[in-house]
Amino acid sequence: MDSPNSSLEQNVDLSKLSDKDKQELQQFVVNESQKARIQQTVHSLTETCFKKCVTGGIRSGKLDKGEESCTQNCVDRFLDANFTVIRHLEKMRGSV
Amino acid sequence: MDSMNNFGASADPKSAVMNQVRQEAAMNNARLLIEVPISPSSPPAHFLYSSLHANGADTGAQKKINDHCFERCVPKPGSSLSSGETTCFTQCMEKYMAAWNTVSRQYIGRIQQEQGKAAGGGGSGMF
Repeated sequence: MDSPNSSLEQNVDLSKLSDKDKQELQQFVVNESQKARIQQTVHSLTETCFKKCVTGGIRSGKLDKGEESCTQNCVDRFLDANFTVIRHLEKMRGSV
Repeated sequence: MDSMNNFGASADPKSAVMNQVRQEAAMNNARLLIEVPISPSSPPAHFLYSSLHANGADTGAQKKINDHCFERCVPKPGSSLSSGETTCFTQCMEKYMAAWNTVSRQYIGRIQQEQGKAAGGGGSGMF
């Protein structure tokens, strides 16, 4: 996994990049990473909420009304729960 | 797809790197939808590597689209995949992706809302 031999560097000479380009690239990568992290969370939430909300037989390729609103609620409640946990942990930390 | 390794041919190294990163991210995202993530076959350039690779580490036990739909659509495996099962699979996949989009919309909306709250109404508009 030592990167000097990765395919990218064989093809692209990174040393030719200007400082401005480098900075721009860094920012680009930071943004892409954040996007990837968000997608990651969406994947695991989809997982959880699909299991909870799509319980009936599968008769169409679309989410029906109930499933759609269940999924939306599922996301919101999951995050509520998440915030509750964080708030409580903060409170516990404060009281020690 | 076969231009995958020809980025070096394009004159501008910056956009070459950006393209490669975008492509790897898209691949990774697609992979996450259908299966448990495996490490990419070609690691991105070293200065990108650590940050890009930080995610996807803790997903080992996730069930993916195929598992979900297999469970739903093939309760009793026969000698072949019946046409009913195939239809069910197609619809199940579409449903799962619809759910993905709904979750994504809802989640991103919520983050923006919370960010706006945290920033005292001065949301930065990240997306």
